[in-house]
Amino acid sequence: MERMKVMFGHLKPISAALQSEEVKGQTPSRFADSPDDICVVSALRTPIAKAKRGAFKDTHGDDLLSQVFTAVIKDAKINPADIGDICVGNVGDGRSAFTARIAQFFSGIPETVPVSSVNRQCSSGLQAFMNIAGGIKNGAYDIGLAAGVEMMSKNTIADRKQFSDLNPRITEVDNARNCLIPMGITSENVAKKFGITREEQDRFSLESHKRAARAQQQGLFDAEIIPVTANVVDKDGNERAVTVTKDEGVRAETTMEILGKLQPAFEEGGSTTAGNSSQVSDGAAGVLVVRRSEAIKRGMPILGVLRGFAVAGVPPEIMGIGPAVAIPKVLERAGLTVDDIDIFEINEAFASQAYYCMKTLGIPHEKVNPKGGAIALGHPLGCTGTRQIGTLLHELKRRGKRGLGVISMCIGTGMGAAALFEFPGN
Amino acid sequence: MTLSFRTIGKHGYAVEYSPYFHQRLACTTSQYYGLAGSGTLFILDSTPGGFLLVQAYDWNDGLFDVTWAENNENLIITGAGDGSLLLFDVAQSKGPLKAWKEHTKEVNSVDWSQTRDEHLVLSGSWDTLIKMWDIGRNQSLCTFVGHEYIVYSVVWSPHIPGCFASASGDHTLRIWDARQPQFARTVIPAHNAEVLTCDWCKYDKNMIFSGGVDSLIRGWDLRNTRQCAVELSGHQYAVRRIKTYPFDGQILGSCSYDFTVRLWDIRQPHHLDCIQHHKEFVYGLDFNVHKPGLVADCGWDELVHEYSPQCLLPR
Repeated sequence: MERMKVMFGHLKPISAALQSEEVKGQTPSRFADSPDDICVVSALRTPIAKAKRGAFKDTHGDDLLSQVFTAVIKDAKINPADIGDICVGNVGDGRSAFTARIAQFFSGIPETVPVSSVNRQCSSGLQAFMNIAGGIKNGAYDIGLAAGVEMMSKNTIADRKQFSDLNPRITEVDNARNCLIPMGITSENVAKKFGITREEQDRFSLESHKRAARAQQQGLFDAEIIPVTANVVDKDGNERAVTVTKDEGVRAETTMEILGKLQPAFEEGGSTTAGNSSQVSDGAAGVLVVRRSEAIKRGMPILGVLRGFAVAGVPPEIMGIGPAVAIPKVLERAGLTVDDIDIFEINEAFASQAYYCMKTLGIPHEKVNPKGGAIALGHPLGCTGTRQIGTLLHELKRRGKRGLGVISMCIGTGMGAAALFEFPGN
Repeated sequence: MTLSFRTIGKHGYAVEYSPYFHQRLACTTSQYYGLAGSGTLFILDSTPGGFLLVQAYDWNDGLFDVTWAENNENLIITGAGDGSLLLFDVAQSKGPLKAWKEHTKEVNSVDWSQTRDEHLVLSGSWDTLIKMWDIGRNQSLCTFVGHEYIVYSVVWSPHIPGCFASASGDHTLRIWDARQPQFARTVIPAHNAEVLTCDWCKYDKNMIFSGGVDSLIRGWDLRNTRQCAVELSGHQYAVRRIKTYPFDGQILGSCSYDFTVRLWDIRQPHHLDCIQHHKEFVYGLDFNVHKPGLVADCGWDELVHEYSPQCLLPR
């Protein structure tokens, strides 16, 4: 019976592992799983500390970064030698590639594993993830480590040497000149141009603190934060070890009155204050990225699957609108709408721009930063994108059901980036 | 609104709309799921009151595929399980007019050239061979050699004269020049599984789509076949047949062993629509070339359906 044999040959199941979800009886994914899918199997971060005053003010970047490297490797239970490549997002460290290599050795990752650093300003942590995802997609390796680190105590943007020798011709080209506009002023520009009031900004910021405080209280960050012990030098020069387990910037007690009393920080008569801007912080985050076929082979539980990425340019003087351009781009490419997404992690560089993006895209506030954002948690620039991946995926996982989430951020000099992730369901 | 016709005792293998009459379609079927027994070719007219049976021709083996003549509104060719190619005149109740027997195994696919002055027919067979025919002659014009396993599908390019594609159980999609039967112009290792179907984009002469037992649909740009240009996943089992939509180069339809028919926009990673009105393997699928949005399909549940999927309705 050749016909019988041929017909049965057409009925080979795709792969038992790939079909297991059907058996679980969940709502089917909008996307079909492929053995080449980019999967997150571990996402962890340090607590975020206040720059200059916080627990990490005297800590070196390589030390903090090494803590997440070690934690992620342990969490994923992999042999560090199996990592195909490491990429670290960072903005302010003039020797970030060196820092990353040192952190690798501090974590006991052998010298055979390569490392690079990447800078796309505030999306560096996401860009590091996309670089590793690209390496896996290209077939260069099956497992990669993406991370982000920023030590804003030690590396402040304003005193960076690079800005001391600027090309005088910058002033001749509008877009080039506008890249020099301080971030706080770009926030004022967004508020003015799109009519975002001081009250709206303060209320958005208050909500960020309230949500972050509630999440801390309920232990919702426990799955993503690793405790870090750091040496802190007090004003008398005495060194002591402190163990940090929580983000330092969250103010549970803040009110509209307290926020309302703050003076504009960037422009007289402006609406952007220290209270409705992201905090200057120190922190690091890491994500272990694995090709699906490799994750299945190793029996690794999948925390998230990358389903799309977009990056887009916007006018530098209103760089905060970046997510309002990048998010529609990633959704359109995936054939989805805002309604299909359960959680949006939109970086709160400033309340003005985050609020503007949320309103423009018509996203209900309860879907945006459900555990608070950078106004409460802090914004260690290069770390933020990687931090958001973990914050998003651990929250989707806590909710239990299959879900879709987007992380997005605005980018200095005028850009926005957005990535779409799916949590496959518990 | 779905029109349905029951091919009682016969399991559907292929449906094809007439290029001449918007209401007319042909459906080839086989007894016992095509594993044994006879076959019937049904000629149906869809009317507001339902399908009208115009003709039914029996053959002593299963009929696996069908193609209408492009130069005569009544001529139609089918491929049979006994390896023969059969020509019928639907104006006559008896048939076939002619039968050619050269293939040594089942003929799985037949296709009539669409754009050329010469009217040539291709047949693809389980004997691994592809043959080209002129219905005015008693023997095939030539035989294309190269596939290493069953040839499931042969389709003329709607754009390039003398060019056609074939899909095979040897995991490859091959592109041929009719003047060079000794070897294929391009061999694409299209799927890591048997390739059961292929169809050309009607709007881009370089684009062709393949479907396989790996449940994937892939789009290939013939200028660079090292990797696929499009990959559509969602079917749970083998993709039996794909058809590109005549009215939009980005849309295609597929039917599968997972009992569904799906419609896709190749710019989106997931299907536009998933139609689940069959209770068995869906083998036949075609788009009406006269009426945008009209689809016919048939399957092993003895049903032929004609309907207009929501996603193809004008917006």
